[in-house]
Amino acid sequence: MSNGIKLEERLYKFTTSCYRCLVCTKGYPEVVYEVVCPIYKRFRFFTYSLGGMVMLARALYENRIPVGESASEVFYKCVTCGACGEMCAQNDFADSLWMQHELRARCVETGEVPLVNMAVIEGLKKDDNMLQKPKADRGKWAEGLGLRNITQEKADVYFHVGCRYSYDEELWPTLRAAASLLEKAGVDFGIAGKDENCCGGRAYELGYHGEFTKYAENTMELMKSSGAKTIVTPCADGYYAFEVLYDMQGKKGDVKVYHITQYLAKLIKEGRLKPTKNVDLSVTYHDPCHLARKVDPWLRSKQNEIIPIHEKIEKGEMYQPPRDILAAIPGIKLIEMRRTKENAWCCGAGGGVIDAYPEFAEWTARERLDEAKETGAEALVTACPWCKRNFLDTQKGTADMKIVDLVELLQQSV
Amino acid sequence: MLNIVVCIKQVLDPEAPASAYKIDADANKVVMSGVPPVISPFDENAMEAALRIKDKQACKISVISTGKGLSRTVLGKVLAVGGDELYLLDDSEFEDLDSFATAALLTAAIKKIGNPDLILTGRQAADTNAGIVGPGIAVTLGLPCITVARKVGVVDGKLRVEKVVPDGYQVMEIALPCLITVGNELGEMRVAALQQLVAARKKPVTIWTHQDLDVDAALMQRTRLMKLFIPQRDSKCEFVDGDTPEERGAKLALRIWESKLVKQDK
Repeated sequence: MSNGIKLEERLYKFTTSCYRCLVCTKGYPEVVYEVVCPIYKRFRFFTYSLGGMVMLARALYENRIPVGESASEVFYKCVTCGACGEMCAQNDFADSLWMQHELRARCVETGEVPLVNMAVIEGLKKDDNMLQKPKADRGKWAEGLGLRNITQEKADVYFHVGCRYSYDEELWPTLRAAASLLEKAGVDFGIAGKDENCCGGRAYELGYHGEFTKYAENTMELMKSSGAKTIVTPCADGYYAFEVLYDMQGKKGDVKVYHITQYLAKLIKEGRLKPTKNVDLSVTYHDPCHLARKVDPWLRSKQNEIIPIHEKIEKGEMYQPPRDILAAIPGIKLIEMRRTKENAWCCGAGGGVIDAYPEFAEWTARERLDEAKETGAEALVTACPWCKRNFLDTQKGTADMKIVDLVELLQQSV
Repeated sequence: MLNIVVCIKQVLDPEAPASAYKIDADANKVVMSGVPPVISPFDENAMEAALRIKDKQACKISVISTGKGLSRTVLGKVLAVGGDELYLLDDSEFEDLDSFATAALLTAAIKKIGNPDLILTGRQAADTNAGIVGPGIAVTLGLPCITVARKVGVVDGKLRVEKVVPDGYQVMEIALPCLITVGNELGEMRVAALQQLVAARKKPVTIWTHQDLDVDAALMQRTRLMKLFIPQRDSKCEFVDGDTPEERGAKLALRIWESKLVKQDK
């Protein structure tokens, strides 16, 4: 009899397929097999790797160990950046992330979760956001901008800003820049202001699938009543939730989902936005995991494509829009880091690690900041509020490197 | 110092979204994917009652829960908000016990902890809604009992209780020791801050199995769930035609009459 660990048959097969090669922790030959898995590099035990977690999952499933504190700690220390899934030759259908989601859900069902996650979820239940902030303050970023509210007026595009952007005042300039660019391009869009809710994506990643379902249903209800057919979000976590998690759970329907960088790249291509002003800056770009690496495998699996492992790197469609924007801004010089795109090193904030294990999140961000500095670029550009927050917090007190959001950079040029 | 025992139950989250509930017909169990168990809400009210007494005078609050696969993280919340010690009666022998057996088991544990001045329970559990365990413990221990309290306080060495009744509440005084069951009218349990949750990890948690407790095996009766299912509800919607609102109204009245959905006096 199983001890409550339920894995789909395919996932169980996946757990029996690991032969401990540790490729899941290392990047492609292009980066000379440098470690790309933060949890493995930090803790240096096989258990702290996809291979190790796969073995743990199998042991749990076969009832050889209980769902206890020590297993739970391994699952929750993982930043769920998805690098392992891209590297593992046995993993054709985003199984690594599915397995991670399933295992965390089992931890939640048995109550074996980090205490801080309990507090975060209590806050979500009370105020509909992941930052334990009052619900009433959600729309404050848009005060004085005169943006349309889709709960009262119809619009083609729903601009969902997400929890981190709504409450992190230091990040509001990015939101305002995004809204101003959409207005300049003549996009018919609206926001939900204080009536916006969390997308539920982070709750899902923490294993709270029930909470996720509630918020997914809520968002789709909002879309239905507003008449909007497209969601544009500046939050990479939100993008992943709408594009992948909603789809996985059959909640997405025919709604089109864009991250703001994809939408802006599209507007530039269509000639609706013209970056003309010179921005004289050398930059390096950090790929947020939720924007590409965690989305790409799901889209591939939907197309039922099985791509030989070394062809995946050439495909890279999801990694292109932010680079297209940088290329379109006159004066910008892009210098790539050693580990980029599929090989990118995570910022450390993912999977709830920024809340549950802040020191580990900072250690991970520090490594990325050092790598960015090695390029000699003046600024580190990213397109995710969680990445930016973690980088800013990590180099607090020092001005090692300028951390810039891609949207702000584009606004300077338009 | 007043010794208080609070009995709490771990249940499936009654506030989880409906779509999260699924039935495993083979195991005859409700399966909830990605939903944590919770402390039964009325038991949280009972815990809050104990904490309000502790706010005013020196108290020791011991909390007991029974079942199988109890979560220390979920139930440990009571230690974070101000409970002093937690006893988990966790054993496969304690699964699916009926209300009387549960009362007998909790009584054995309460006797082992020591004779408390006050025992608090929720008015009923959020899953079974039976409301028997609280009064059951009182009967087994031979203690006076008041059910469904909305306020509990110690006045001159006695307990003053406001008991909820359909048209208001009654104020009662009762001698200690006694057992009180608490309703939601008392108020929600206070929220534990993260620092309190972390600090609570250092508070004592004792786990007892059937070998640790002196309970008559004959009393350990189980409930057997015959069938678990989601009731099928069919709804039909019929539109009544007519050229004018009056005509449609008259036809609607006639249709309702014919359907025998209203009482038909002769």
